[in-house]
Amino acid sequence: MKKYLPALVAGFGAGVLNVVPLAKSIGCCVIIPVAAYIALVLDRRANPSDEPIETGKAISMGIMTGLFAAVFGTFFDVLITLITKSNDLVASFPEMQKMIVDMPLAEELRNKVIEMLGYVVEQIRETGFSILYTFSILVNNLIVDIIFGLIGGLIGGKIINSKLQKS
Amino acid sequence: MNYIYGTYKNLEYQSAESRISVRVFIFLILLVWTAGIFIEFIIPKVHSLVYSLPFLKNMYASVCHQQNAKLIELWGHQTMVCARCTGIYTGGLASAFMLLFLYPKGILDVKFLLLAAIPMVVDVALYTAGIYNYSIYPAYLTGFLLGSVGILYIHEAVIKLIDEQKTKKEEN
Repeated sequence: MKKYLPALVAGFGAGVLNVVPLAKSIGCCVIIPVAAYIALVLDRRANPSDEPIETGKAISMGIMTGLFAAVFGTFFDVLITLITKSNDLVASFPEMQKMIVDMPLAEELRNKVIEMLGYVVEQIRETGFSILYTFSILVNNLIVDIIFGLIGGLIGGKIINSKLQKS
Repeated sequence: MNYIYGTYKNLEYQSAESRISVRVFIFLILLVWTAGIFIEFIIPKVHSLVYSLPFLKNMYASVCHQQNAKLIELWGHQTMVCARCTGIYTGGLASAFMLLFLYPKGILDVKFLLLAAIPMVVDVALYTAGIYNYSIYPAYLTGFLLGSVGILYIHEAVIKLIDEQKTKKEEN
């Protein structure tokens, strides 16, 4: 576990930034890859070495950063939803509803999807929690953050090795 | 140090040309991811995909701000991510497609990746500073450039990873 402490620190930071609206808007898709790069830099500081970082290690650090970011990001998202009884899904529900209504779909299918979404939104408005929403953002964060962490690890490792080679 | 890099270099390019499966895999992953961006365009053809819409909207929200004014709109449908992100992913997909047929020789220097990012950074800086208004065209094109170059590095790193694992296995 100790060897993934840099990933834990960077993943925590990324998880927090992922729920801060302004940071999320500016950071876009670079928060997790940058966090993976920071995890690699922290690891280098903790274990100084002249050897290039192995790609396998860079990838595992990136994946772990993404994993921690997903877990913390989901936790903070659920916590904020619980307190405020609102979130992005609730805010975008009318827009989503309009989008589905405008689509050339069968009436029955359209109603089913809106009903399902409406049920989740109603649960969040009333109790601040929905198991379906929590599960979907956890799965979503795990997929996206791990992929982007992996990419950050790959490119971050390459950047660090390139600097090392030059020095 | 040079020896280690040299070893990587030789291993990498001896095996890279025969690694078509890696390139196909990268292409397919990107194809699925990019198709998700255009889900609104696909739903009228495959109606049952409408169930995935809320999930995909939420999924792409975690990698893009999805501001309405910055989405690409065609034939009454919008992309799931902004023009810049659409550029990055379609650029990556185009590059991954090219990699199926062509392969760049030589080690990729990290400075090319940084150079490819400069137009995008300049575009973001200029419109954020109010020098000109946001436009989807420069956003898309600068994103496309970065995405198409970025995928070459990801591909190179995946090949390197496979070679490292192979070397470790042989050593054991």
